[in-house]
Amino acid sequence: MIPEDFKQQLQQHIAGVEHPREKVMDVIFMLQDRFGYLSDELLEDAASLLKMTPLEVEEIATFYEFIYRRPVGGHVIHVCDGVVCWMSGYTAILDHLRGRLGIDFGETTPDGRFTLLPTCCIGYCDRAPAMMINRKVYGNLTPKRIDEILEKLGWDITGKRDDTGSL
Amino acid sequence: MTQVLFKNRHPDRIATMEEYRAGGGYDALTAVLGKYPRSKVQQLALDAVLLGRGGAGFPAGKKWMTVAETAPFPRYMVCNADEMEPGTFKDRVLIHTDPHQIIEGMVIVGYSVMAERGIIFIRASYENAARILEREIERATTAGFLGDNILGSGFSMKISVHRSAGRYICGENTAQINAIQGKRANPIQPPPYATEKGLWNLPTVTHNVETLACVPHIIRNGPEWFKSLAAIPTAAGTKLYCVSGAVQHPGCFELPMGTRLSDIIENHAGGMQAGCAYKTCLPGGASTRFLPKSLYDIEMDFDTMKKAGHRLGTGSIIVFDEKTCLVGATLNMMAFFARESCGWCTPCREGLPYMRDILARIEAGDGKPEDIPLLRQMSKYVWNSYCALAPGAASPVESLLTYFEDEVQEHIHQHQCPFSSKG
Amino acid sequence: MPKLIIDGRHIEVAPGVKVIAAAEQAGIMIPRFCYHPALGSAGACRMCAVKFLEGPVHGLQMSCMMEAKDGMVVSTTDDEAVDFRRFVIELLMRNHPHDCPVCDEGGHCLLQDETVSSGHVMRRHIGKKRTHRDQYLGELIQHEMNRCIHCYRCRRFYQDFCGYHDFGAMGSANRTCFGRYADGPLENPFSGNLIDICPTGVLTDKPARFKGRRWDFERAPSLCIHCSLGCATIVSARYRELVRVEARHNPAVNGHFICDRGRFGFGFANHSNRPHHARIAPAAATYADALQAAVNQLTEISRTFGSQAIGTVSSSRAGMETLMALKILASAQQWRSPSCFQDARQRNAVVSAVIRLSPDTAVCLHDVECSDHILVIAADPIAEAPMLALALRQAWRDGARVTVLDPRPVSLPCEYTHIPVAPKQLSAVLQKLMNALLSSPDTPQFPPLRTSDDAHNAGTVSSPSCDPKPDTALQLPLLAASLQSSQRPVIVCGTNIVSGTVVNAAADLVMQLRASRKNAGIFNILPGANAFGAAIASPDGASFSEILTAIESGEIQALLIAESNPVRWFPDRARIRNAFKKLKLLVALDYLPTPVLDVAHIIFPTQTHFETPAVFINQEGRMQQTSMVHCNGMPLSQQTAGKHPPREFRHDVPGAGAKPAWQVLLELNAALSAVNTPLPSYSELWEQIEQETGIAIDRRPDSDILEGRRLRLETQVHLPETPPPDTPPPINLQEDMSLELYPVESFCGTEELSAYAPILCRMEPMPELIMHPSDAAGCGLTDGGMVTIQSDAVTLDVRLKTAAGTATGTAFLPRHRQLVWRQAGSTDSRASLLQK
Repeated sequence: MIPEDFKQQLQQHIAGVEHPREKVMDVIFMLQDRFGYLSDELLEDAASLLKMTPLEVEEIATFYEFIYRRPVGGHVIHVCDGVVCWMSGYTAILDHLRGRLGIDFGETTPDGRFTLLPTCCIGYCDRAPAMMINRKVYGNLTPKRIDEILEKLGWDITGKRDDTGSL
Repeated sequence: MTQVLFKNRHPDRIATMEEYRAGGGYDALTAVLGKYPRSKVQQLALDAVLLGRGGAGFPAGKKWMTVAETAPFPRYMVCNADEMEPGTFKDRVLIHTDPHQIIEGMVIVGYSVMAERGIIFIRASYENAARILEREIERATTAGFLGDNILGSGFSMKISVHRSAGRYICGENTAQINAIQGKRANPIQPPPYATEKGLWNLPTVTHNVETLACVPHIIRNGPEWFKSLAAIPTAAGTKLYCVSGAVQHPGCFELPMGTRLSDIIENHAGGMQAGCAYKTCLPGGASTRFLPKSLYDIEMDFDTMKKAGHRLGTGSIIVFDEKTCLVGATLNMMAFFARESCGWCTPCREGLPYMRDILARIEAGDGKPEDIPLLRQMSKYVWNSYCALAPGAASPVESLLTYFEDEVQEHIHQHQCPFSSKG
Repeated sequence: MPKLIIDGRHIEVAPGVKVIAAAEQAGIMIPRFCYHPALGSAGACRMCAVKFLEGPVHGLQMSCMMEAKDGMVVSTTDDEAVDFRRFVIELLMRNHPHDCPVCDEGGHCLLQDETVSSGHVMRRHIGKKRTHRDQYLGELIQHEMNRCIHCYRCRRFYQDFCGYHDFGAMGSANRTCFGRYADGPLENPFSGNLIDICPTGVLTDKPARFKGRRWDFERAPSLCIHCSLGCATIVSARYRELVRVEARHNPAVNGHFICDRGRFGFGFANHSNRPHHARIAPAAATYADALQAAVNQLTEISRTFGSQAIGTVSSSRAGMETLMALKILASAQQWRSPSCFQDARQRNAVVSAVIRLSPDTAVCLHDVECSDHILVIAADPIAEAPMLALALRQAWRDGARVTVLDPRPVSLPCEYTHIPVAPKQLSAVLQKLMNALLSSPDTPQFPPLRTSDDAHNAGTVSSPSCDPKPDTALQLPLLAASLQSSQRPVIVCGTNIVSGTVVNAAADLVMQLRASRKNAGIFNILPGANAFGAAIASPDGASFSEILTAIESGEIQALLIAESNPVRWFPDRARIRNAFKKLKLLVALDYLPTPVLDVAHIIFPTQTHFETPAVFINQEGRMQQTSMVHCNGMPLSQQTAGKHPPREFRHDVPGAGAKPAWQVLLELNAALSAVNTPLPSYSELWEQIEQETGIAIDRRPDSDILEGRRLRLETQVHLPETPPPDTPPPINLQEDMSLELYPVESFCGTEELSAYAPILCRMEPMPELIMHPSDAAGCGLTDGGMVTIQSDAVTLDVRLKTAAGTATGTAFLPRHRQLVWRQAGSTDSRASLLQK
């Protein structure tokens, strides 16, 4: 259930345009940013705010890459698998991330903090390899830099998950 | 090297509106609004030979002229910042450098087609850029360059930022129009063209970020000046070239349109990385053809590239060295295109995954000799798709088979990737 | 008119026609999946690729995306085109499961046909196939998503063509799938068409699942008789059981589609309680014995009480043959003319509608689609004539305006203006609308067809003049202006809640618009598939309430009911039961197991329109004929209780005791006649019908009877000058306030035949009493609560639904199968409302 004040905020946002549908993406993002992912309940709420049917919202929500219809971790890591990152060490970066987090693509750490997903070229080819965490971009990745980033986000990189030895 | 779009480029920060204005920013808008007839603006762009920088190279002035004088209102101006072509990041750099030239360009184009609502369609991974634009739109509005009755000209325009949630197809003009309306982002084959029936069936003009940024400069300095910026007489303006891959200094460079590829790589991108030898490049993003070594000195402009059987595309040069497996690279790109297909038409929805699977088998050493003619035939047939996505996707495959068939054959005959140590 | 050459054939087509349609006109069927004549081009499947050799475009192009242009030379058989189409099939078959043996589409699958014709025989793709989870889409449609080839026909039909938004496309790229947001029945009353348009086995007919291949079925063109539109169908039967109904293309009427009531409502023909043998109550009898018993008793009653002591009843679901045979019988024996209408209001409205329809003003459903302003008066399209709602949507999609003048909270799948007007105010509102039309300058007035107002209002109960409400009055000049500015206005008029006065006023509006040089048309909705025919056959017949009165007074001693169930629709069940008890003889002929058969003395089972040819005249006067699909008999599944067919050989068909009703009636006539009357054959019957009424069936070999043909009423049909009189107003629900109760139709649950279809009975919504919120508040009732309708005779509990779109002073109760609404009171009784 969306809190009343937030609902009003969404309504206000929708009221700014002639065609409520135009704001479907914004509403989904606003809900997702606040609640983590677009649950069925939130999708249905969004539909009623936008005067769309749930199916119509689902048609949009399932089309795009950055709309999560299933629970994700607090930090969603999208690793760029574009061709430039690919030739700049994407595989090593991915292996390192998998090792550190102990999860594969599409999975979330058991504590619910990190989710690992691929993404297409994110337009940071001048800083390849790159990844995105909650829509913030990190470029020129090396295993060391990844460790720094993960540590900064509060992940214990010396944890037992390291036994896969990704270095 | 004349820097126009990157005149106010700072290594660590975004140019302020004041800096932009100090260099003549918003002078063009002041000169045009309420003073120039809309046809004059169109003519200036036409005379300047401003070609769409999003990849198609369509004359901008001509596009504005297709909005009929009698066309219904409201009309829409869309700025396409959904830069999702692999290897391309010029729009991001441009927004992070000097965003006000985009806003000024949008108002001028909006004025020339009487569009009072502007929408910047931006990809999800450019959240920073989206916030910059929203902030600068606010500032431009406060300064009176946007909003109601701009500078007392009687022309009003509002610009909003529309965030996408990430699909390559949304960069396609008509798919983007569907996406903005909250519909599934399937392209719509013209006619009618978007300039006639676009957003909510009303006239809609869409331009790439870079194209729009050129507009104020053309108005201010004139078409002849713009044309003189190019390296060769048959081209016009400067071009933002993105260089990535196996070069020393990847980056985005503003250079005269028609600068030679060799010049860009060697003198601007610092040459090849240590220990790397140039093999080929994709000259305009992932949806262009691999360039054979013989064209290493080619002039990088729409016309020359086209005559050579290639496309300038977004001018995003992805450089491959001798140690990089092109089958692997092509497989990577085909996986991208297959994943990003909107799913509307058969050749794209089914054909691209099919090609991806064959490439994957070749790369894994399971390829068969008959895969090569099959891939070749498919690269040809996916041209009969609904939109340009699949033909673009086929370009790396087709050129791989044309210029680097030996490398593919090696995979098949050795039953493994000859570069298996890398990638 | 562009001229082009396709495969060497010279073709001239209308401007704007796509090459794929042009080829079809020349008899060349270009392969296709996504293209559909009703849905248009999508360019999605790329299957219709052809080679353009000369003209404005060259090379391989999709024929559905290219308009035919002068000078085009097109080859559909060019090597490149053929090879590309084979490639498309190869791509589609990559993921399509090879489950054809267990797929219901097998045998009539477009993908199967195109795969074979394309020459794709070997799968080159290695690896797994894509799979999806199937959804539960309700009782009507089976979902099997793995088979999908992504032609988008379903989504385009569902959302664009029909305007419903609970089914669509989800995901992207090759993960795209089609379905609902969550499992659940489809909300679209036209959803069954998905079965027809899906080019493969993703969406198949669930009730017909695993019942056989197309070639196993006996199939024939038929008609839907679940409302008055007369949509064309193709019916399949196997083992003496109807299996499936599909839409048949009739460009003038239903186009390519039918509604779900018409598609899934055929269960009455398979009903397990259907009468299969004649009976002399309480025992079974041979047909000859039953006929003899009927002859003996009818002769006796006629001799004792006079021939006028015998009444005859039929209904608008009976075919023309049955109605006319009954009329011939009644007139030969000097019995009372057949009563085909429920009450005087209905008879008055229907006969008025038929009288006022002329070849100039009558329009078909396709004309409605082409109209630019449609005014719907006293009609609820989804309930009373579902395909009309779809036609309104197509007109709206083309830019037409739709305005509804109806007291109910009518819901349509398009944008429309709804002006709620109480039935008794409608005449006044239409008069005001007429005045507004006339008040605009330079408006010529149409010559009044019938000078006397008395003719229009003959027998109408003069209600105190009700002025339309102020907001309605404000809307009328706007409506008039909008009608004036249209070119092809159509006025739709219902006959379910109003009398002939409104029907005539609607017709007058059309005449007035035509006087202003509008190509205006009238489109009436009638109660029942052959209500038009009933009006022709028996315009002077008594209404059923008059028959009851005559029974109660003893004037009628015997009643012959042919294919009618007055118990179902007559409001006072107690009265009808008592009246029937008074009868000396009740003879009933029917194919439905109606309650009439339970009390009748002599019963003759009859054949459905699937078992014998029957002619129906739809609401626009279009005469259409059904063909025999299969022979009458007890379905094998019932005969053997689902077990293996019995190894028992016999010469007769089990359970085949039914005859066409007209034949029973004519045999009765022959047996009753003193002089030797020969028994007419089917065509002799029609010769007689032609003599009696002026209408004839076309017996030429190239007969257009399947498409139907509109009658030329003025010249052909003999009708009375003025309609018979009207009845008193309906039941008033509240003593202290004016709240009139109207029995109305709903999409499911009220129509007589589909009420015998178990599949639709399972889907029907619970009946609700509909009122305006302010009326409900005035009665102290709340939305959603159970209310009790209390009358002298009976107590009726029903849930209340308030809707702001309802006209105040009115309340609506569906003639729902589950609701003994007919016990709510007789026409002249008063009832009251209580909150439970």
